[in-house]
Amino acid sequence: MNITIKDLTVTFKNGITAVNHVDLEIPQGIFGLLGENGAGKTTLMRVLTTAVKPTGGCVAMDQTLYEESNYGAIRKKIGYLPQELNLYPNLTVRECLEYLGELSGVPKKACRERIDFYLEKTSLLEHQKKKMRQLSGGMKRRVGLIQALLNEPEFLIIDEPTTGLDPEERIRIRNLLVDFSENRTVLFSTHVVEDLAATCSRLAVMRKGSFLYTGTVRELLDMAKGHIWVCTVGDEAEARALEQKYHISSKQFVEGGMRLKIISEGKPEIPCSQPELTLEDAYVYVMSR
Amino acid sequence: MKRELKICLPGYKIVYSLCYVVILSFIQGVAFVDEIGGALDANLALLAVVFCAETYVMERNGKRNEIIGLYPMGRKVRMVFRRMAVQLLYLCLLSYGGFFFFFWQRPVNLGVNSFWFLFGTYGLAVTATILFWGMLSMTLSNLFKNQWAGIGLSAALWLVVVYSLGKSALGNYGIFAYGYRSLTEPGEVSWLLGKGIGVLLAAVMAAGVPCILKKRG
Repeated sequence: MNITIKDLTVTFKNGITAVNHVDLEIPQGIFGLLGENGAGKTTLMRVLTTAVKPTGGCVAMDQTLYEESNYGAIRKKIGYLPQELNLYPNLTVRECLEYLGELSGVPKKACRERIDFYLEKTSLLEHQKKKMRQLSGGMKRRVGLIQALLNEPEFLIIDEPTTGLDPEERIRIRNLLVDFSENRTVLFSTHVVEDLAATCSRLAVMRKGSFLYTGTVRELLDMAKGHIWVCTVGDEAEARALEQKYHISSKQFVEGGMRLKIISEGKPEIPCSQPELTLEDAYVYVMSR
Repeated sequence: MKRELKICLPGYKIVYSLCYVVILSFIQGVAFVDEIGGALDANLALLAVVFCAETYVMERNGKRNEIIGLYPMGRKVRMVFRRMAVQLLYLCLLSYGGFFFFFWQRPVNLGVNSFWFLFGTYGLAVTATILFWGMLSMTLSNLFKNQWAGIGLSAALWLVVVYSLGKSALGNYGIFAYGYRSLTEPGEVSWLLGKGIGVLLAAVMAAGVPCILKKRG
């Protein structure tokens, strides 16, 4: 399934433009949406779930246009895990999933089979009789992920699923996303760069409602090549002086001084070298342009 | 239905509703069995208002509204009706039981109507009351996407109807006409008109649920 976004704009009643004339093509597989808080990622995702109507432009799911008359058909193909989701605290994990499955129109037998399958896949089978309020943050996210998958969606929209989770849970959620992305289009929004580095090959970087970059991870890394430099300075005063001159993306105390990562279009006027580039370096470079 | 029971009737709601009726039985003095229905009817309306306000807006409070928004409308409407049915049934059963909570005051029967007539008519009256005020509170909460708006507006209407307009302007057409009925007239049921209008309005509000869910999410 392909999602096509053309000249999309979302302006709220208070005049704030959250998404500003953006174009995007989301192909099958995991597509990352990266950007700082308030960049417009969630608004864009809410448009794609049909929860928000755009003020301009158009969106299409394959050949189906996002129009009121098509919403029913579009919604059937979508699975959504919002950024914040507080599932029924008094229900057990299984009851909760059965309830949501029933509401989404999945036949009872198929729903039970899918719940069994996904509970096992997400290592929640042994916790299925626990009440939702007794689960840890990571477990709740996993249950949230299962609810998004119950109707076997072709288009899965996942909004910041790893926020607030410990590293182990984050890795688990990321791996699950990769497992579940087979034969699906997955839009994965986050502001944690390493989550995307570990899961997707294509991404878009968003800031203030517009895309700063859309393309492959490799191309983004290539773009940043030659603009990231590493140097070591003797003390903090030297580092501060360099900060006045260059954009410093990271600082680290090392033996004999301080190691700095500098973003610069040309080679800085101090002894420095080019490091092995990470997606985070490339992201910071794009954001600093 | 078991899941609706767990969602709509959490422990705290059962505790506060029971406490409410017990407290009413302590603070509302009754000398006659005939007065019990009147003492409970209008006050149970307030309980229904608070109880039913969150029926659907709880999805918004729990940030579940965006996933619920993807579900077919028919299923959402059925969900709301099932939740309302569970809550209204509970409130009705509590109200019927609440009638007997007043007997610690040792009220006597005036002798105008039999006990079973008094209890039966009270049952009818309070059922209509709960139906109307529960639906009203749920509808207003959904319209304003906020349970406190639903509770506040319903409570404001309750104040108007129960005090100033109740008896003088609406007469037997009022939802609380039962509370103003003559206790000395045998078989007095003219208040049924007001309750009938209440049930009719509740039905209209129920019919409007799909439209409100569509427009207001």
